[in-house]
Amino acid sequence: MARSFSRLTLAGKILFTIFPILLVLTGGLIVVIVVAGKPIVDFLATNIWLVRFVVAATAVLLMSVPSAFLIIYMEMKVIALMNLRIGPDRVGPFGSLLSVVHGLKVLMKEDFSPTGADRLVFTLAPIAVFMATIMSLLVLPFAPGLFGVDMNIGLLYLFAVSGLSVVGLLMAGWSSFNKYSLLGGLRSAAQVVSYEIPLTLSVVGLLLLAGTMSLNTISTNQAGWFTNWYVFQQPLGALIFFIAATAEANRTPFDLTEADSEIVAGFATEYSGMRFGFFFFAEYVNVFVVSGLIVTLFFGGWNAPFPWPWPIALNIDPGSMGLGLLFALLIVPPLLILALAAPFYVGRSTLPWWQALIIGFVLFNLLVVVAIGGWAFISWDWVAGLFWFLGKSYLFVFTFVWMRGTLPRVRIDQLMGFAWKWLLPASLLNLFVTAAALVVVHR
Amino acid sequence: MTTATPHVHPRQEVPSDDPRVQLDEAVGVFEPIPPYPPRTERESEFYTLGDGEMYINMGPQHPSTHGVLRIVLKLDGEQVVDLDPVLGYLHRGVEKLCENADYHHTIAYLDPLEYISSLFCEWPGVLAFEKLLDVEVPRRAEYIRVLSTELNRILSHSLFMGWMALDLGGLTPILWSFIERDEIAEMLAALTGQRLLFNYLRIGGVNGDLNHEFLSRLGDWMSRATHQIENNLGLLNQNEIFVRRMRGLGVLDKETAFRMAVTGPNLRASGVPLDFRRAHPYSVFTELEFDIPTRDEGDCLARYLVRIDEIKQSLRIIDQCLHNMPDGPIMAKLPRLLRPRPGRAYAAVEGPRGQYAAYVVSDGTDQPFRMRIHDPSFVHLQSVGVLMPGHLIADAMAVMASLDPIMGGVDK
Repeated sequence: MARSFSRLTLAGKILFTIFPILLVLTGGLIVVIVVAGKPIVDFLATNIWLVRFVVAATAVLLMSVPSAFLIIYMEMKVIALMNLRIGPDRVGPFGSLLSVVHGLKVLMKEDFSPTGADRLVFTLAPIAVFMATIMSLLVLPFAPGLFGVDMNIGLLYLFAVSGLSVVGLLMAGWSSFNKYSLLGGLRSAAQVVSYEIPLTLSVVGLLLLAGTMSLNTISTNQAGWFTNWYVFQQPLGALIFFIAATAEANRTPFDLTEADSEIVAGFATEYSGMRFGFFFFAEYVNVFVVSGLIVTLFFGGWNAPFPWPWPIALNIDPGSMGLGLLFALLIVPPLLILALAAPFYVGRSTLPWWQALIIGFVLFNLLVVVAIGGWAFISWDWVAGLFWFLGKSYLFVFTFVWMRGTLPRVRIDQLMGFAWKWLLPASLLNLFVTAAALVVVHR
Repeated sequence: MTTATPHVHPRQEVPSDDPRVQLDEAVGVFEPIPPYPPRTERESEFYTLGDGEMYINMGPQHPSTHGVLRIVLKLDGEQVVDLDPVLGYLHRGVEKLCENADYHHTIAYLDPLEYISSLFCEWPGVLAFEKLLDVEVPRRAEYIRVLSTELNRILSHSLFMGWMALDLGGLTPILWSFIERDEIAEMLAALTGQRLLFNYLRIGGVNGDLNHEFLSRLGDWMSRATHQIENNLGLLNQNEIFVRRMRGLGVLDKETAFRMAVTGPNLRASGVPLDFRRAHPYSVFTELEFDIPTRDEGDCLARYLVRIDEIKQSLRIIDQCLHNMPDGPIMAKLPRLLRPRPGRAYAAVEGPRGQYAAYVVSDGTDQPFRMRIHDPSFVHLQSVGVLMPGHLIADAMAVMASLDPIMGGVDK
């Protein structure tokens, strides 16, 4: 048995390992459902929040890694273009699969801990950082109806949870048995604790305006034209929040915790393999969280910049077409493929007919995707919401990447001085002005 | 009777009653404390920790020590209290090698001393040999030397700009300045045949005449050089974070600079207009017009800005060289085997980092009896000990980057 297994190819090994496990799991699931199906369904039906929570947690976990991949690729490519380099271009179209390969590499690397390290803390630190980041994704409203949990203290929860990541960084810095890591960990503690204060104070003015801490309600408050966005009522607050959030996410110019030219990657110096991968993913997911939070609080969340939906209703009922539907499905695609392929075949005489057909097929598929996407965008408001939310978020992600490509790093005393001497008074001023304005308006 | 104490490195047999080895606690594997008791007063002062202080080993694999320099820093928090540079990781014994090579061969050993400004390492040696041999170098060769070395100066300075920014955490300027560097490297490759270690100057002239590819590349580049360099500088000079970090940092005043024998742009940034091209003119610099840019502040920003001004002056010199380039031979008539008279000669040139000099003693054979190389990086690295203490780690890097040492020249 063992001998035959060793003769298999890699794909065969994977298949023959996974298949029996799946078989056993499926069988077990069937047995469980047959034996205790009714009570379980009843329980879940009465406690629908549990289902919602599990689904949301799974979705968030599943989503975090691809979005980190996307942001890593974006960072590599955008900075490369700013540096007048080509950047990743080997794996996948325009090198877009490079971060996937990168992730696989990180998975396969040896995962060791240095001599003298505190093994338990060393192992737990990346998990703590990753968990803190993932947990803060849970309350972010992506679209109407598309969110993990709608807490009435959502913003408070978010600050609390994202503040936890500093514990992980400190753990990593302390347990690595490396003075560079220690310096990095202490730097991150000092930095994040200092910037928590202006970060939190800068949104208090907004909370006075919104009257709620629920991120969903804050999003709905900003519906309509883009002038309703809180950035126009709280410009100073938005600016302070953006700066403090940059520091909170340890991004350039505030990336002192992992300053490679000073303290050699800081807390991550001794990490390798997937433990380093967790730090890496957490950093980039954190960038997304911060961007999403800025969009949610100040830039209208999932609302379009203009009133949406437009008075368009696409009431397509496929059933009413009868036999015509069958013909349409059979005849329209080949005709469209031919029509799309024809210009290439005619225009470029060197192109063989089958290559033209392939081009036509690809174009047809793109057309279908665009058509279906457009239809979904118009018909379902969560698709539109997701579109606007992700679009605006990635605009801010791009801003962070842009800053990384342009700015040098600040010094630690400049960083601290900026937080305590400028951001904190400015955020207090913002709070007082907002409160005074509210008192005057409501009188 | 001797016994090995557990506190001391096991290979070292030290009398246990020696009071200097009675350390309070066991020395760990990673402690930078040397395995022997302190030999000098300075060493014992450095390797005694005060309250809340710690050592940190910066290098030899640290990303921003510009090569394989190792500095043991004594830190109080993030503040550098004291430092102990450890040199010699790149020592190749160039001076000794030169004693066993004939005069032509020596140039190839001088060449890789500094891999950023190779031509300047060759030049003083070649000049000293020419003094020993009483050779008249053809004027065309002198002009070509000036032309190629000024290009090398721009290459070095443009790389400096990128490194400076990289050590402050900026990603882009290093790659932008590599564009400049690459164009000049290609140009010099067309002239000399090499991209990095040119090995171009010869005793009594240069290796090859100007060729079409070099001149066309040079003309192409000169037409946009000023604009391109200005463009690259915009990213740094107008950057508030960069300027704020550099201004007032690591101030090297005039007296200290003299005391530390600092030369070149680092000295001129402290307000001393000393330039060997003007002070002790060699080659054809008496015929060329250029200014000596100086600044009075003596801080990192001044050192940075002086180098940028020097790029502009170098462009001016290149322009004049191209206009005044005389016709004629590029090599003096010399025998194959050189046997200079017994004696000694000294020559110094003004390089991108300061004074490059060579002191040669000849005993009448075809090999130098003794060859002493003076390299500015080594001298400038001394002033790190004056400038770094009291600054944060981040600033320590910036200070070192602003002095622009190259470890190949330091360790020789």
